[in-house]
Amino acid sequence: MIRIEPTSQASQYQQLAKQHGTPMLLLDCDVLTQQFNSLSEALPGAELFYAIKALPHPAAIQTLDELGANFDIATSGEIELLCAQKARPRKTIHTHPIKRDKDIRDALRFGCTTFVVDNIYEIEKFVDYRHRVGLLIRVSFPNPNTPIDLSRKFGCREDEVCLLINKAQSMGIHVKGLSFHAGSQCPDSHNHVHAIRQCKHLIEEVQQQTGKLLSILDIGGGFPVQYDKPVMDIESFCAPIRAELYKLPEHIQVYAEPGRYLSAPAMTSISSVMGKAKRGDTTWYYLDDGVYGSYSGQLFDHAIYPLTLFSDITQTECAVLAGPTCDSIDVIAENIEIPPLNIGDILIGHQMGAYTSATSTEFNLFDKARIVAINVIEKTVSKIVPLNKNDQLL
Amino acid sequence: MKTYTETLYDSYGQEFSVDKVYFENKTDHQHLIIFENAKFGRVMALDGIIQTTEADEFIYHEMLTHVPLFAHGNVKRVLIIGGGDGGMLREACKHASIEHITQVEIDDQVVEMCKEFLPKHSAGAYDDPRVNIVIDDGANFVCSCTEKFDVIISDSTDPIGPGDVLFTSDFYENCKNCLAEDGILVTQNGVAFMQLDEVTTTAKRLKPYFNDQSFYCAAVPTYIGGVMTFAWSTNNKTYRTLNDNVIKQRFNAADITCRYYNPAIHAASFALPQYIINALESDS
Repeated sequence: MIRIEPTSQASQYQQLAKQHGTPMLLLDCDVLTQQFNSLSEALPGAELFYAIKALPHPAAIQTLDELGANFDIATSGEIELLCAQKARPRKTIHTHPIKRDKDIRDALRFGCTTFVVDNIYEIEKFVDYRHRVGLLIRVSFPNPNTPIDLSRKFGCREDEVCLLINKAQSMGIHVKGLSFHAGSQCPDSHNHVHAIRQCKHLIEEVQQQTGKLLSILDIGGGFPVQYDKPVMDIESFCAPIRAELYKLPEHIQVYAEPGRYLSAPAMTSISSVMGKAKRGDTTWYYLDDGVYGSYSGQLFDHAIYPLTLFSDITQTECAVLAGPTCDSIDVIAENIEIPPLNIGDILIGHQMGAYTSATSTEFNLFDKARIVAINVIEKTVSKIVPLNKNDQLL
Repeated sequence: MKTYTETLYDSYGQEFSVDKVYFENKTDHQHLIIFENAKFGRVMALDGIIQTTEADEFIYHEMLTHVPLFAHGNVKRVLIIGGGDGGMLREACKHASIEHITQVEIDDQVVEMCKEFLPKHSAGAYDDPRVNIVIDDGANFVCSCTEKFDVIISDSTDPIGPGDVLFTSDFYENCKNCLAEDGILVTQNGVAFMQLDEVTTTAKRLKPYFNDQSFYCAAVPTYIGGVMTFAWSTNNKTYRTLNDNVIKQRFNAADITCRYYNPAIHAASFALPQYIINALESDS
């Protein structure tokens, strides 16, 4: 989806490109704030854990931390990022179902005590830490109709839940709830509703069969954002989820792990044409960002980002927008009809906050696009008078 | 008001109001903070776990020093592993009969920082001429050490983190090799009600090297969850069952002022709650 706008509309982007150079990504934390607030309103009572893998950037962490978000972490690297941003460790869950001993120890040392598991080998890893942790069992439900199926690689079967909880209990390990992932970028909330319903039965079954009182249901992510096709607005998407959550026993605390929904709309890519060539009837434009860079989500994340070009010419011609690397797979868009572009012209990619720079590479040793953050919510600085110059304060 | 929440356990914990932060530092995978709390004075926490507070540190430090020192009765040389805050050193230095104290601390910055921000812990003990400070990994030190000590005190952090090597069989064996005949090894061993495994695991690891292995305990308010245990290991079985008058005599002769320790506490601290005895018996 490519929109052509008059060149008069380009000035703010041109200014940014001039100031910071291209390729760049503009991270607007006001948008993060709006997204966080919309989802909070659509899922009242749920605790939101930002899946920082989508966009592990300090400004995003800082802004969301100040908004009162919690964090979903999966690796020691992500822990270090939270640590550097002084995020509160009580508000984190470690959601990688497969962990090395060091990963567990790093998380505990950070202060994260909630971990997700989905099999007996993983539960056994917590024997030494059983007095310190609370586990969530990840259950797998089919993810039909989602571009990204998250039910295959991780998650136990429904009929394994009681068995796993029994085994954990016999080892003295506390299981405190269930989690699931309904897919990513879900077109509707049918998967969520089905999974919540099944989890309700499971929670009841667990209590009957094992006597164990579960208190947390983590409904994962999957909240959609608009790329090339329209999606449901978040309120309509969440209404059936809310209705289903309402049926849960009152003591159940609901967690959600939004990643894409919070970060995708918050970042915009600015790249520029670094060369062009006429090949047959088609003009090839070579941009300084591509699928090995910020557009990596087109390969890994099945995303097609809405693009904007600026031109005052009305005639169009057949063109290809290619990335800068030597690989022929590095194409952003082809068979498109656009007005002729000049070397130095800029291309805008929208909705490029989630799984873009996070999965970009430095293939050919091209630098990754620089992220420029604006409207970051400043850390509430504590008013502490330093004792002396050597003090390092909060 | 700011608060500090301990993250030692998932389902239970303690929270402190923070009146003022004196120091905060994240070094090489460690997060360290020292702050002021109205009830406990200066509080130091490492990786989300309370390490020491000005208000209740005396219980911990008096019990890890005076119990082995008076039980032994003729201590000339002491080795302290860890204990960078200087509290252990302060208590050991109260014994005029001690001729030499070696303290092994892994990080010299911890010592300097504690001198500056927790000055009441060491109370000048680092300037005592009998004290030798070695900057080294404690496990490494006892592995290569050829000296002998009458008492070794392991003042470690929790087993998760940098202190984990101070809970291994290797460490205990090397400590035994650094002990003089009839020497005593005491180690911080966690709050048994919360982490009973620490007691049974430590017992299992220490027993092969010592004729007499047991625990004694004391309740330290900010090590939450009940009594803290200290592991007791020696080849001299009589130390634990000395006549009350012997301890009294030694204590009076030493002319030391304490706030928790006294001869009656000394004797009583070796009495273990039944749940600890049961755990030790069922595990052996």
